[in-house]
Order: sequence, then C-alpha cells, then structure tokens
Amino acid sequence: MAPLLEIHHLSVSFQTPFGELQAVRDVSLTLHSGEVLAIVGESGCGKSVLCRSIMRLLPGNAVIKGGSILADGVDITQYSRQDMERLRGRLFSMVFQDPLAALNPALPVGAQIAEAVRVRLPRARREAVHARVLELMAQTGIEAPGQRCRLYPHQLSGGMRQRIVLAIALASGPKILFADEPTTSLDVTIQAQLLDLLRGLQRSLLAATVLVSHDLGVVARAADRVAVMYAGKIVEIGTADEIFYDPRHPYTWGLLRALPSRARRGERLYSIPGAPPSPLCPPSGDAFACRNEYALQIDYLQMPPMFPVSETHAAATWLLDERAPKITPPAIPGTSPAGEAPVLPPSPQEPPLLDVRQLSCLYRPHRHLRIQALDGLTFQLHQGEILGLVGESGAGKSTAAQCVMGLCRPSAGQIRFQGIDLRDPRACRQNRRLLQTSRQLIFQDASSSLNGRMSVAELITEPLQIHKIRPSKGSLREEAAFLLEEVGLDVSCLDQYPAELSGGMRQRVAIARALSTKPALLVADEPVASLDVSIQAQILHLFQRLQAAHGFSILFIAHDLSAVRYLCDRTGVLHGGRLVELAPTETLFHTPAHPYTRALLSAIPSPDPRRERARPLQAFDRTPPAPEEILTEIAPGHLVLKRREP
Amino acid sequence: MKTHCIYVCRNLLAFLLSLFLLSAAVFYAARLAPGDPLVSYYGDHAEKMTPAERLQAEERLGLHEPIHIQYLCWLRSAARGDFGISYKYKISVLQVIGERLPNTLLLGGVSLLLIFTLALGLGILCTLQEGRWTDRLLCRAGTVLSCIPEFWLSLILILIFSVWLHWLPSSGAYSAGHGGDPLDRAAHLILPLSIVVSGHLWYDAYIIRSRLLTEIRAEYVLLAKAKGLSRKQILLRHCLRNIAPSCLNRMALSVPHILGGTYIVETVFSYPGIGTLTYESARCQDYNLLMVLSLFSGMLVILCSMLAQICSERLDPRLRPAPEPPADVPAPSEQAAGRLKRRMAVKSPKPLPHRR
Amino acid sequence: MDPRFTLTGIRPAPPPPTPSRQRAARRPVPAAAMLAAIVLGCLFFPPFLPKDPSYLDLYHANTAPNAEFLFGTDAMGRDLFSMVWYGGRISLLTGFLSTAISAAAGILLGTASGLAPRWLDGLLMRLTEIFLSIPGLLPAILLQAALGKASVLSLSTVLGLTGWAEIAKAVRTEVRQLRGSAFVTASRCMGGSPFHILRRHLLPNFLPAILFMLVMRFRSAVASESTMSFLGLGLPLELLSWGSLLSLSERSLLSGAWWAAVIPGVFLAATLLCVTELGSGLQTAGQYGPSGL
Repeated sequence: MAPLLEIHHLSVSFQTPFGELQAVRDVSLTLHSGEVLAIVGESGCGKSVLCRSIMRLLPGNAVIKGGSILADGVDITQYSRQDMERLRGRLFSMVFQDPLAALNPALPVGAQIAEAVRVRLPRARREAVHARVLELMAQTGIEAPGQRCRLYPHQLSGGMRQRIVLAIALASGPKILFADEPTTSLDVTIQAQLLDLLRGLQRSLLAATVLVSHDLGVVARAADRVAVMYAGKIVEIGTADEIFYDPRHPYTWGLLRALPSRARRGERLYSIPGAPPSPLCPPSGDAFACRNEYALQIDYLQMPPMFPVSETHAAATWLLDERAPKITPPAIPGTSPAGEAPVLPPSPQEPPLLDVRQLSCLYRPHRHLRIQALDGLTFQLHQGEILGLVGESGAGKSTAAQCVMGLCRPSAGQIRFQGIDLRDPRACRQNRRLLQTSRQLIFQDASSSLNGRMSVAELITEPLQIHKIRPSKGSLREEAAFLLEEVGLDVSCLDQYPAELSGGMRQRVAIARALSTKPALLVADEPVASLDVSIQAQILHLFQRLQAAHGFSILFIAHDLSAVRYLCDRTGVLHGGRLVELAPTETLFHTPAHPYTRALLSAIPSPDPRRERARPLQAFDRTPPAPEEILTEIAPGHLVLKRREP
Repeated sequence: MKTHCIYVCRNLLAFLLSLFLLSAAVFYAARLAPGDPLVSYYGDHAEKMTPAERLQAEERLGLHEPIHIQYLCWLRSAARGDFGISYKYKISVLQVIGERLPNTLLLGGVSLLLIFTLALGLGILCTLQEGRWTDRLLCRAGTVLSCIPEFWLSLILILIFSVWLHWLPSSGAYSAGHGGDPLDRAAHLILPLSIVVSGHLWYDAYIIRSRLLTEIRAEYVLLAKAKGLSRKQILLRHCLRNIAPSCLNRMALSVPHILGGTYIVETVFSYPGIGTLTYESARCQDYNLLMVLSLFSGMLVILCSMLAQICSERLDPRLRPAPEPPADVPAPSEQAAGRLKRRMAVKSPKPLPHRR
Repeated sequence: MDPRFTLTGIRPAPPPPTPSRQRAARRPVPAAAMLAAIVLGCLFFPPFLPKDPSYLDLYHANTAPNAEFLFGTDAMGRDLFSMVWYGGRISLLTGFLSTAISAAAGILLGTASGLAPRWLDGLLMRLTEIFLSIPGLLPAILLQAALGKASVLSLSTVLGLTGWAEIAKAVRTEVRQLRGSAFVTASRCMGGSPFHILRRHLLPNFLPAILFMLVMRFRSAVASESTMSFLGLGLPLELLSWGSLLSLSERSLLSGAWWAAVIPGVFLAATLLCVTELGSGLQTAGQYGPSGL
C-alpha cells in the first residue's frame, strides 16, 4: 500500500537576526495508513517544526531549504498559499499543546467547531451544521454537548478544552492528525483519558496520527512507531517495541536511562551530560557526539547515515557500522525498581523543623468567589528530610508552599518553623532575619524568577546584599563564583545575564541564589516541571547531591510522581486542598491506601509499551474528599484520609 | 437583571457626581482667576465706572455675593434650565450655543465617521500587507503626517489651495448669502475636515494595526489556519472580532479628542463653532457661557469614558460571568485564577503611542 | 582497524557561538544627527548671529529670502534667520521643562497607583482615564486663560500638568505587571525591603519601557507650546518661540510672504519628526516577531 505521506530529506530553517537557525535537518519519514507515529525529543529538537512545516503553519521567517513532502504522491512543498488552505482541514489537521491559547477566547466553542465544519460543507444549512457539531462533540467524549456548545473556552476545564480542539481538528474529516504535545498541559489522570480517546478515534475516523511528545510514557501508551529526534535530525526510528526494548542509538539509551521512574531510590540517577548544540551552528559530525560516552573518532568528523537494523528499525549512529567496535549497551533498568525497606521517619524526639497543623487557606479572588485552597493540612518536616507534596493542578500544592514562605496568609491553623509561630506577626518581626535567610524558595520558571536586568553574580549575591551578610569567601564576587561551582556551572557565567543562559542553567542559578544564605529549608515549587528529561535528571541529581552535602530540608512540590519517587523521603498526596495520604515514599508507591492515590499512580504512563497497552485505565472520582473523612494512621508513619470507623 | 440595575444606577450616580464636581471646579476657578467680568459685559465702559456704579453693576449681575452663594444661585437657576445670559453677546447662553453647535457637530461628526472608517481600513490593509512596501509606506506617511502641527498644516493648505490656487475658501462656514447651499457648505468644509482627519487618523489606524499585529500572533490563529480557514477569514472573523472591544474603547475615548480638537481648526479657519466660543468665553471671563460650555465638554468626556468602560467590560465574553456553572467542575482555583489573570490582562492594556 | 572507528568518548563541546546580531536594530541615525544639529544650533548660534531678532527693520518688512536675510523677514521686518534660532531655544526649553514636570507627576502617581491596594488603584486609574479623554489642549487653554499672561515657566507648568496622565498609566501598568512577577516575589522572600525592590527590580525594568513615552511627551509639549502661542494664548509675541513666530504668519500669507509661515514651520515639523523617529527607535513594544498569518 502506498504511504499517506512521504518526506524526503526535508530541511527547514528560520531566518533570525542571529543568523540561520537550522530547525529541521535532512529528515526522511514515511507515514502509513492506520498507524500512530510518535516523534519524541527534547524541546528545540525540531519535532514541532517538522509537523508545522508539513502543514505550512510556520511563521513568515521559516524557509523550507530543501527536500520534498509527498502527499498521495504529489509534492506539496511547491503548493501556493491558496492550495495549502484547501489542503488544511481536509488532508491534515492539528491539535496543539495549550488548548486555552489555541481556542479563540471570544467565540463560543460551538461556533468554532461549526466554522471548521463549514470548511468542508460551505453551503450546508444551519441545522445540519449544528447537528454535525453536536455529533463531533459527542465523538470526542463531551457530555451534554447541547449546553456546552454555547460556552466560551474559559468556562470549560482543561480536558474539555482539549476535546473541543480535537473536535475542531476532526470537523472536516482529515486523513492525518498531527497532535503536538496534546496532553502536556493536562493533569496525569486527564492525560490518560485523552490518550485513550485519541487511540479510539484513530481506529474509527483517521487514517494516521502523528503524535509529538517529549514524554516517553505517553509515547509508550499511544504509539505504534516511534521516531527519536535530536538537534533537528531523526536519530532513530522503529516500532515502539524496538525503540523501547532494543534501542540502538546512544541518545535513546540516555533518554531511557535518565527517566526518574526507572531509577532506584538512593541510587545516582543517570543524566546525559552537557546540553544540546545550538541550532544556529550545528556541529559537522554527529550532533550528539560531545554528550556521548560511546562516541567514536568519526562521530566528531562525519555525520552518520541511517543504518538499518531491521526492516522497520534504523538508527543514525556509527556504532552500527561494521567497522565499529562492538560495545555492550548500558543496562537500562526495568520500570519498577525493587522496593526497599521503607525508610522510617526520623525519631520524633527531635522537634520538627517545620510543623504545619490544620492549615487552611481561603482564597477570594473575586467578591462572589471563595476557594478553599487548603483545608486542614497537617504535616511535619524534620531536619535533613525531603518531603514531597504531589497533586494535580488546583490541589493546593503551591498555596501550601506560599503559606510556608509567608507569601500567603492562611485563614486558620498553625505553622511553626524552627519553633517560631509564623502566624504571629510579632514573632515574625522579631525573627525576621532568621526567617528570611533560613527559608528559601525555588520557583518553577527560573527565567521569570530571575530579574533579566541583573547579571548572574548580582543575582546570586542579592540575598547577601539585602541582609548585609559578610561573604565567607572574601568578596561577593568570589562567593558568587564559589556558589556557581557548587551548582555545577562554570565561573565564566558570572557576568552573563539570564536571557543568555539555557533553562537548566537558569534553574541552577536560582538554586545557587537560594543556597547563598545557607538555608535550613528549601521550598521547591515544581522546580523541574518546565525542563527537558535530560536536564530534569541533572537538576534532580543536583538537589540530591546538595542536600547530602549541606543537610538542609527540602519541601519538594511536584505533579510528576516519578521525580518525587526518586528524590523524596516521604510523600504527601494533596487533593482538593486536603492531604489524602502521607507515607514514606516507597510505602506510598507500593501500598497506596487511598483510592485517589491509587488512581493517580495508575494514571502515570510508564515507558513500557507492552505494559501500557495491557493496562486498563482506572476509573476515578474527581470529587474532593468529603469533610467527615479524617486523617488516620494505618501503619507507622502512614497516614490516610479515611471515614471515621464507628 | 438585578446586577444590571445596580450597574446602571452606580454609573448614573457617578455621572451626576462628576458633573457636580466639575461645575464647582470650573465655577471657582473662573471666579478666582484674575480678570474683570464687567469688562466683558460693559466693554471699555467698565474701566471708567465710578465705584458706586461698579457696585450697582456687580449687584445686577449677582457678582457682589460671596462665591459659594453665587454658586448656589447658579445651581438653583440651572436646575430650572436657566443658565443665564452671555456677558459678551447679551443673549441667553443656550441661544448662543444653539447657533454654533450645528456647525461643530457637522464638522466633528463627519470627521469622526471618516476617521473611524478610514482607520479601520488602513489598519486592516497594513496588517494584511505587514512588512511589505504598502505597509511601510503607509506607516511612514502616517508618522510624518501625525508630526506636523495642525495649525501649521492648515496654514500650508490655505496657502496652497486658497492663496495660490484659489480653489477653496479659506475661512467661515459658508459664503455670505449662501447659508442654505449644501455645495457651498461642503466647499467650506473640505479644508477644515482634512485637517481634523489628518490629525487623528494615524493615531487610530496605528492602534488598530498594532492590536491586529499582536492578535495575529496569538496561537488560536494557528488552529484556525489548521482547520482550513483562509487568511481573510481568520483576520476578519477572528482577529478583528477579538480586538473590537478594546478598539471601541479606544475610539470612545477619542471622541472628545476629535470633537474638542476641532477648535484649533475652527480658530484658524474662523469657523463659527463651539471651539472658538469656548476660547472666547475663557478669554473674556464670560462666566455663564464658560460654565455651560465646560459642563458640555465635561459631560461629553465623562459619557465617552463611561462608554469606553462599558465597551471593554461588557463586550468581551471573557469578562462576563458564566451563564451556568459547567457540570464538569474544573479545578476551581485554576479556573478562577485564570479568569482573574485575564481580567487583569484586559484591565491593563499595553501603553499606546502618544496623542498630541 | 580503521582508526576513525576508535572509541573516543566525550570530548568537550565546542563553545556555543556568542549570539551576535548580524543585522543591527534599526537605529535612527539620520534623525538623531538632524535633531542634534537643530538643538546645538539653537543652543550655540544666537550669540554669533549678525541680526538682532527683535529689531524691527520696517524698511525691509516682508522681504523675500536673499543674501542679507537668509530666510527673509516677517511683516514687522524682523530677520527670520535669527528668530528661528532664538525661538528654538524657548520652544525646546518649554518642551523640556514641561516633560520633566509631567514625568515627575506621572511616575509618582503611576508608581503609587501600581503599588496601592486595589480600591485606591481603581480610583486613581478612573481619574486618569477621565483625564486622558479630555482633549489635550482644552484644559491647558482654560488654565492659561485663567492664569493670565504667560511666561515660559507658567506655560511649561500648564503643559506639564496636563500631560501626566499617559505616563502615569503606562508606569502603573508596568509596575502592576512587575509587582506580580516571580523575581519580585523572590526578592520579597529574601527579605528585600520595598525600597530595595523599587530600586533594584522595578525601576530598572520600567524605565526603559517609559522612555519612549517621555520622548513622545517632549514632542507633544513642543507641539502644544507652538499651537498655543500661535493661537495667542501662549507666549507673547516679544518672547520668541517657534509658535509665537508663526502667530503672525497668517497675515503674512495673505500678503504673499509665504516664507514667514513655511520656514519656521519646517523647523518645527522637522524637530517633531526627528524626536518621533528617535522615540520609535527606543520603543520595544512595536517590534513584532515573524507573523503566523
């Protein structure tokens, strides 16, 4: 059977003021009818650009430098704008990462779907279009479409919005659907539902789907074939089983090894060293060579061609050349690390560093709106402990962090930090300096938490300057240089500005700044959520190393359960502003007691296609826990929200 | 329904209160300013009056009382619809204004219409042609035009079209004896109109252009494109619709600028309108006339700013409350925080280029 | 064995290229040069001018430009060439003074409003909005009419006081945005005092953003001054500025002396245009990335 789409040696560049940015370099692909092809890679590897260049959705400064895209045997790279407009919606359509941004905020969702329906049926009657809109909404799993079609995007939840975007994409019956990170902005439980929906639709309506994702778990659940991209090139392509169970490219090895879900606790998490090359001047040889432990001499000189491994599997690495030395690939750990003996909580004799009791926070963003962001949160954090708080968006994780940092005033309850009552303004005033130096906050987005008009040296030493602390290393600059080395950055960064650094480097600077006052408590609010897998592993590893060296405590807030599992001693699960379960991490992952925790755990996609395909989705209840449930200790250190037994 | 009533009542109350404050401010400022109102009433004769005559004259005009009593008197008669007589023209203030108002309304109204339609057209054209020579040329021409002071441009146009070419009249609203001739009026309108339009056109067109340029970079444009809509469809059905509330807001705010801004033109072209009247009344301490004119402009300003507020608050569905809470209860804080963020975003628009 | 196929492992990556802009941002060099010429001319020419600008040479009234009177003379026989340079001094000075007043008032009110609680912010911004919709020159004219005879200082004050609203609004928007930004929160967590935050975080971030507004304010002030002086409400005839120079030109026009209206106006318009160009060069908001449409 002829392939639906053939791409030959496609190269796409952007003309930027800094020079030519080579986003896609010499990519060849074929897309067959009836398959889901996943494209995996880190941000900036060109996976989105590849899809958008096929649909010609790129901004004006993008140029297709070479190659051809054959749709049903016709080259569409030469098509005019009008021709492409005719092709879009009918041949292919696209789903975007952020459904709120992708939908027009000022139009009801029904009207937006209807518009897409009319692309195919320009002269259809209103009733017919409306009926088709309702049918599409029902197909994408939206209940009560008659009412919902009149709503505006902001009145719907994230999952609903993404379903609307899907309905729009399907409206004119495309053959190929490009799904660009369709589940990244959603909570894990919704993510799994949407992936299953996508697979179902693929079977019934579509000829082929191209799924773009950075998340190997998502790919394992949904894809038939996988292409791994790095620095604008496809480095390995094959069926899902081949990629996950028999990877051949060192980059794929690294990606799979760097997943925190595969690391055993207490063991060093593997991280790919270095950072991807700049797309402004990609190296002449293999772009991955300078991060590759198995790099050959030739990798630095010459670009490797695609070496076929099997009929469906090929990888671009010189290691597959017959002249190359035979090396044994590194062992990629299985997905479920063996459980260890649960780490017992520290002895209760020692007073906790942070003692939070019955903390509630009522939040009134608007006169008519009251939100119980936190409801009776109770936990203790001991000296030198890493406590994780996980939950979906809106569970109150960030509010908890803000209360601890004194950025948000709780409405009830008690917080004691080193014995100081944080709700007592007098005590706070008396211990102001201590509180401000020994608690430090690390934000999710390092780029916005660093003032763009200050150099790295100024940024790192800002707390010292505020408190007029004498730097222990002599001058402020020497102190900044010391801290930079501490977080694994080069001293040459001192005079750079945040905009010149990469995401991972910025987060390191933020960590260095937090360390400058030698804090006792680090509150990290989703510190790795906006980073790529390989960088994430580096930062998690950094946290672990620094904690071991300095002995501070960390309150680690995340939605990513695998990161928590790797790093934290104990983990609490938040849901609807309440703590539903708190236990030593391994206990929590092996014997979750609360149904919400179980649902949350079951929803995490694991990078194991066979297991993923077999695993049914656990239905689960999104209603917040009932008020009559209370936290009960079912085992030493294991607290679960339960109905009081009569 | 109830919220609507409260909304209307609150705005009405604010409106009345601002009018009251404005009238008091103008009243006090005018009376406390240096200058002799008797001069405007009696002309040069006022300077030759004996103190007794002066006193008598002041009493007749009600100027002998303390200011707050004078103000109360004024308020009382104003409530009855009597705004007093103009000191300069010696006839009822309303009558003086009534004669001039149609002229200003004609000039202002036609320019408003022209400015808004042309601005919309230019804005869309520039967006469609972004970065190409049409856009660049229009931007350049607009900038140059908006830099030339109105009065000087008027002089140059008079020099060219009246003095050198003798095509168009250089002053007045109509030639003597041709008051009812529409063609004659039109000929007198051309020069003032082109000055008013050229002074404001680029400002509004630039706003529409920059809003549209920001809007077409929004991500929903990509989805609209992906579903197969054409460029024009996206621009007109999506982008233009979305910027409409904020543009209407801006336009409502610029109505007083355009109507009020006609007075430079009126002065240069000796066009008998409200603008020249305001300026005369301020110079001659013609209190009663000045009060009514200031109140009139104030009313216009406040009304338009309220209109602007309503445009931005009511037309944007993002700021309207949900008709019914959707059943799929999204995480409440996420939704609320999002709404709040958007609210803030709409309330604080980007700073715009300057108006002269 | 092929030596190229020996295992070498990780070698240090070549240093990433320093991002150097190939095409420099559009810099308004000609505009800056021309403005500098005009400003420097106004500052330093007057002492060396051969003619006294206030000398009424009635014999040479309405003379067309010639070798003696480079720009001709006006209806009262004054030398336009001298007048233009002298007049520029006052015009630019008025613009500068009133911009300083507007900037001080605007930054103060804007920062206050940006840092104020919501109700106060709402009130201040409502006031600013209303002020913004008042046609620019109207309050200035009324105020000046009330104040009586104008001087440079009084006119600058009047213009300055009527021009703060836009600056206040822009500053307030910036401050509100910055106030909610993560780096200000971070600084608050570290214990930064409000003054520290204002100095280290707010000011360096919003000053560049409003620099454009200040330049534009200067332009508006110069234009307003000349308009008011032209209408006879601003500076008196004997106090030479570009506006008061032009206030006589209406009469000159009818007598055919076009140069008296055109030449000072060209100077005025050229200055305004150069200032605008400079301002656009400073503006960051007007620069768009590539379009997706």
